[in-house]
Amino acid sequence: MPLYLSIKLATISTAVLIISTMPIAYVLARSDWKGKMFVESLLSLPLVLPPTMFGFFLLYILSPISYIGKMWGNAFGSPLLFSFTGIVLGSVIYSVPFAIQPMKSVFAKLDKRLYESASILGLSPIAVFFRVAIPNSVSGIMASAILVFLHSIGAFGVILMIGGSIPNETRVVSVAIFEAVLSMDYEKAWMLSAMLLPISYVFLLVVNKLMKEK
Amino acid sequence: MITLPKVREMKYLFLVFLFLITVLCGSSFSAESDVKVLKVAVAANFIEPFKVISADFEKRTNVKVEATYSSSGAFYVQILNGAPYDIFLSADEERPRLLYDNGFAEKPFLYATGFVVLWQRKSDDTTCQERKNWQKLVQSKEVKRIAIANPKIAPYGDASQQAIASAKLDVVLNDKFVFAQNIGEAFHYALTGSVDVAFCALSSALSSKGENGCYLLIKEAPPIKQYGCIIKKSNNQDVANQLVEFLSSKEVRLIKEGYGYR
Repeated sequence: MPLYLSIKLATISTAVLIISTMPIAYVLARSDWKGKMFVESLLSLPLVLPPTMFGFFLLYILSPISYIGKMWGNAFGSPLLFSFTGIVLGSVIYSVPFAIQPMKSVFAKLDKRLYESASILGLSPIAVFFRVAIPNSVSGIMASAILVFLHSIGAFGVILMIGGSIPNETRVVSVAIFEAVLSMDYEKAWMLSAMLLPISYVFLLVVNKLMKEK
Repeated sequence: MITLPKVREMKYLFLVFLFLITVLCGSSFSAESDVKVLKVAVAANFIEPFKVISADFEKRTNVKVEATYSSSGAFYVQILNGAPYDIFLSADEERPRLLYDNGFAEKPFLYATGFVVLWQRKSDDTTCQERKNWQKLVQSKEVKRIAIANPKIAPYGDASQQAIASAKLDVVLNDKFVFAQNIGEAFHYALTGSVDVAFCALSSALSSKGENGCYLLIKEAPPIKQYGCIIKKSNNQDVANQLVEFLSSKEVRLIKEGYGYR
């Protein structure tokens, strides 16, 4: 059950992240403007900041007595904290750099002449993005997706802090392993780890293969 | 894109690096002096009283107390794997006993008894006097989320769970529970308004932050007997024994009572 939850969390986070960050990665790769450096650094912050810090912030920002928490509660009826949606949000924020980096590099590596001939042939910039950039960058996008997927499965600190370890809702594999160790249930910890290890390894093999192709 | 710094810049970087290393090493060397250092692993619920107790102990003796605060479960795993603590103050009875049985620790001693309360943050529409019955409060519609320390890993959570089970409320309340890693986190959830009520330690309710709300004593929850033990590998057995003795003194008892322990 925790493993199923982790995979569900990772799948949804991946879909959300890839769709929402693809245009950002494209813009960052294909343009140069004042302040770009600041945006890039901002988006990379989750790489260096501890997950506990994000958990702490989210706990305050999303709490039902805070402004955002109240708005969410009024709009959807149930609070964001300690819910599956809440941990999806946490893991999405935490994986942003992992989604952007591979896509950005593959967009930047594409042959410039491709873009040039596309616009000479009269394609609008948006059409160039959908009909030229994306089809030619599938491997990078896949690499991003798998990295985000694995990173979400491994997410621990954020989820521990804002998830509340609710069975079948927020008790994902990483949290379940942590609790199994602390409750001296080493058998369960071994079992969960043994299931997680091969899955992650195989996915990483695929990432490496995809990255080599280009 | 990261570009490699040029040679001259590299020199500066190297100097800065060298400087950092010197400073860091210097500070770690100066920390070693003749004062004896006692490393104590303290269960998170006992943070507040232990700060006062250790300060008092340091004043009386020439010993420096270095406390680490975490969950009893985490400490248990660390000590099994050779963590260099002198004393372990657990939140339960079981873990020190297991350490003793397996030859990692000396005979456990009782150092505090704690109590479970239901804590609610003060708001405009509730007053503390209105609610005398915790069973009714947790079942009311206004209470949507209840924080409880994870019964599997936190002794206070286990005690709370027993009270809930004895009131036959476990099934009714199942959808309302949020599991915290320890009793302090459960209190924090209620304090920040992330949950409506929380099963906490009396010590949290009596703390300065606890004044932001009101509590009901859960009589159905068994008192939590907190045991400690001296770690066998410790090189400071004599000083450790001194602290253990101090823990059962009259002065310490007064401190403990002020924080809701007996």
